[in-house]
Amino acid sequence: MLGTSFKNMLAHRRRLAATALAVILGVALIAGTLVLTDTISQTFSGLYTTVYQGTDAVVRAKAAFTGIQNSGAQRPPVDAGLVASLRTVQGVAADEGVIWGYTRLVGKNGQALGNPANGAPTLGSNWSQVAALNPFHLVAGHAPQAAGQVAIDAKSARDGHLAVGDTTTVLANGPPQPVQVVGIVSFGTADSPGGASVVLFTTPDAQRLVTAPGKFSTISFVAQPGVSQAQLARNLQAALPVGLEAVTGQQVTSEARSNALNALGQFNTLLIVFAVAALLVGAFMIFNTFSITVAQRTRENGLLRALGATRRQILSSVLLEAVTVGLLASAVGLALGVAVAAGLKALLAALGIDIPAGGIVFAARTVIIALVVGTGVTVAAALSPARKAGKVPPIAAMQDAAVTSTGYGSKQRVFVGLGVLALGAAALFTGLLAHLSSPVLVVGVGAVLVFFGVAILGRTVALPISRVLGAPLPSLRGVTGTIARQNAMRNPKRTAAAASALMICVGLVSFITIFASSATAAINTVYARSFTGDFIINSGAGGTGGVAPALARRVGQLPQVALASGLRVGMAKIEGGVQQVVAVDPKTAFGIFDVQPLQGNENDLGPDAIAVYKTAATDHHLKIGDHIPVLFADTGTRSMRVALIYGSSEPAGNYFLGISAYQANFTNQYDLLVFVKKAPGVSTAAALAAVTNVTKDYPGTTVQNEAQYEAQVEQPINQLLNLIYILLLLAVIIALLGIGNTLALSIYERIREIGLLRAVGMTRRQLRSVIRLESVVIALQGTALGLLIGVLFGWAIVHAINIFGTGVVSIPYRTLVAVVILAAIGGVVTAIRPARRAAKLNILRAIVTE
Amino acid sequence: MAELSTSTSTAAPARAAARTEEACKIYGKDQTEVRALDGITVAFEQSRFTAIMGPSGSGKSTLLHCSAGLDTLSSGRAYIGEVNLAALDDNALTLLRREKIGFIFQAYNLVPTLTAAENITLPLLLAGKKGDQAWIEQVIATTAIADRLKHRPAELSGGQQQRVAVARALASRPQIIFADEPTGNLDSRAGAEVLSFLRRAVDEMSQTIVMVTHDATAASYADRIVFLADGRIVDEMGHPTAAGVLERMRKLGE
Repeated sequence: MLGTSFKNMLAHRRRLAATALAVILGVALIAGTLVLTDTISQTFSGLYTTVYQGTDAVVRAKAAFTGIQNSGAQRPPVDAGLVASLRTVQGVAADEGVIWGYTRLVGKNGQALGNPANGAPTLGSNWSQVAALNPFHLVAGHAPQAAGQVAIDAKSARDGHLAVGDTTTVLANGPPQPVQVVGIVSFGTADSPGGASVVLFTTPDAQRLVTAPGKFSTISFVAQPGVSQAQLARNLQAALPVGLEAVTGQQVTSEARSNALNALGQFNTLLIVFAVAALLVGAFMIFNTFSITVAQRTRENGLLRALGATRRQILSSVLLEAVTVGLLASAVGLALGVAVAAGLKALLAALGIDIPAGGIVFAARTVIIALVVGTGVTVAAALSPARKAGKVPPIAAMQDAAVTSTGYGSKQRVFVGLGVLALGAAALFTGLLAHLSSPVLVVGVGAVLVFFGVAILGRTVALPISRVLGAPLPSLRGVTGTIARQNAMRNPKRTAAAASALMICVGLVSFITIFASSATAAINTVYARSFTGDFIINSGAGGTGGVAPALARRVGQLPQVALASGLRVGMAKIEGGVQQVVAVDPKTAFGIFDVQPLQGNENDLGPDAIAVYKTAATDHHLKIGDHIPVLFADTGTRSMRVALIYGSSEPAGNYFLGISAYQANFTNQYDLLVFVKKAPGVSTAAALAAVTNVTKDYPGTTVQNEAQYEAQVEQPINQLLNLIYILLLLAVIIALLGIGNTLALSIYERIREIGLLRAVGMTRRQLRSVIRLESVVIALQGTALGLLIGVLFGWAIVHAINIFGTGVVSIPYRTLVAVVILAAIGGVVTAIRPARRAAKLNILRAIVTE
Repeated sequence: MAELSTSTSTAAPARAAARTEEACKIYGKDQTEVRALDGITVAFEQSRFTAIMGPSGSGKSTLLHCSAGLDTLSSGRAYIGEVNLAALDDNALTLLRREKIGFIFQAYNLVPTLTAAENITLPLLLAGKKGDQAWIEQVIATTAIADRLKHRPAELSGGQQQRVAVARALASRPQIIFADEPTGNLDSRAGAEVLSFLRRAVDEMSQTIVMVTHDATAASYADRIVFLADGRIVDEMGHPTAAGVLERMRKLGE
């Protein structure tokens, strides 16, 4: 029996290759994701190991809270005076106050370098006099020694065309600062730490510009020989005042690494979701291919049974074939995964997500997962066709193998399908609505079950759908149309399985499109509702930095401008949750933003006051004059008075502060955005010219109108969307290949019919047209079902669950119509090869073939 | 029917509806060479029913396939009317088959997804033509399948299926009909039915028919029998009877 299996496989190399393709691509995606994750993980390990190479212990403030959006633990800076007092602690060999924070370097052409909002961070630090604590090596010039001198990383020097001796500008706290480049440094062997730009100041400059005078971010220590890291940390801890902590260098390294990996977690989840989708698509293809080949071999299997092969032997011979295909395909997919990882990295870079380069890491875990998953999916998908092969009676050898199983699906099947569908929908909504610890898993399982439910019901609905979709064909294309329609209808089971793969892809595409379109619409709606100004000056920083508040003052003084109001953001823990907190100047902000004050006084937002959104006020039973504790990272817990309750959640969210409260509680004072309203009677062009004239002194800023600003806000969504579309495109290609494969096998099965048609006068062109039309009907069927599911999911999440708070479902009809058209074109394209092969069939062989 | 029977089935010497000259069909090379057709020159006269007989491997089916443009000759020529088949490309050949030739095969004659009516008019539908409705109705009446028109082939008996095939071959009024063992899969009663339809098509509709068979009874419905052996014509017989054919076959077998 073993021999028979292998001979079968060899005889059908091409068919197997086509089947294997789906598994190969799915496995490649999984392997690629794992390889990329491992590679990034190792790169970050290396990066932080270099940063903290000589650091044995670190003294820092205790974390106030963990920041949102993977920003890690938030802690205030430490007093510089502490350095001297800790120097006498037993075991300390050397120490250095360390400063890290937002700083942006301006290149020779006057343009700010890097893209801190979406790419690698732009950082400022102080030059460490202690060699063991300094991860940078001078490659040109000397270390910064006097005020106004800086050393910069080699990548920034290259990107900004800066050389030793050049003068340029840095953007940090306060107005743009002129500096002289006196040194260029490398980071270990790399030009820069993971693509970030670094400006190294003298310590006093760094304190003035990056943290605050007399403050360090943390203090690093080198242990005396023979003193362990843990011992040094213990000694330091004993000498520390309340609120500070001493930790080992090792701990700091691992914390930094896991922070970086957490930030990539969502991206990895996304990739795995698509790998699973690709494998599901592959599973349908495998099921179809094996079903058809088993049907083709009915006589052969009947003969084997007649000659004494047991059911089990027939079944195992089919399964053996599946295992071999699965193993081979997984192995190829694994190898391809390395290329996929490199491609994904390039893709991320192209989309503005910079990942530091590093050697490819190929872990044993990747190999095992890829092989097990790939082979497992193949065998699972081949199980039912294999069982069917085992059930072939010996008498089949003597009968004409009429392979016209109709397979509408039994009543039980319909019930099972509806059950799975209901279960999937239940899981989906539970995951979305209930507050679970791992909603992604539940939602994922729910989505997979829904797709399975529809796939089970597929063969029941395939006949009526094909009938309807194919209805216009006879009148459009005459008898070729009739034959194509009938061919699509003659085996609903097979049509359904071929269409299911495409259904999954189109379902995902349309769901994600609706989701993203509604998210964008939500942004537009809220901004349109609350913004009444004319321009937005965007600092180009991503929430960690910004532009000096002086800019807003200068713009506000322009005669062409009525109001200019800066907006600052920070994090605080309020009512048990860490939030992004916005601060605005009450004197100017409300002339530009209508926050819809409900109770209290807008002008009452002093240093001790907070404004609360109406829903948050209701939830926490707050009224004007109540005091709530607010935890700030830099200043600790403050009791803030509720001074205003407002009715528009944008741009401030649930809470906002007046500028004086922000100044009292945050070390850095950056405006992220400056909102501008032009003076009455001034033309937009004149106002824009005046504003631009000021902003040219602030590199990195851009003046945008509302539409441009919205476009920029949407950009990350669109970038993510592009990535998703590219991944889905891969899955769509597999699904279309599946349809092509099914067609090719169907043609083999209908070889006599094709011979007959050709004999009685069907031209090659007509025959190709029949096959193309059948392909289009199948493709449109998958598309129609996918659209239905996708639109329902999209509607459920956006409207029923109201994920964006606006309830506005934006269905991008044009995109969805484009999807349908593309599916039809895809159907035509995928049919080209099978159609050509069918047209080239030797008529005579087709007729006389047994 | 009156109009149809004006052309006589006995007109001689009739013009050839199809013919071959020195037709050779060779498979394989050198030592494994097989001459399926070894220089056959034969003409199939208009409005006559010709049977081709011979033992298995005599080349009778190959002769039919090559004459009908389903297969190509290794050397020699095959004509439908005055058209040399070798001069036509695949498309022209297909159009020729659609317009000038009718086919009846032993099995798998009908497209399973089409109804009997659609199968009958298939060559016309493929050509985008309506066809002569009165003629088609007459053909349907003659082959006695009027009550089966809406059925799919799977819902028809073997005899009914072959009658539909006969109707299809006649529907487009082809210049010639090639039938390859049309009764091979039928019981004797259904077979006789189909053969008498073919006979009537020749007698009443002046149809030209060439039929390959190895069954003496079937051959006896023909006007003329051509006997083949080893790719050559070895004998001929006019106005055959079943007994006469059997007698001749036995002689050839010796």
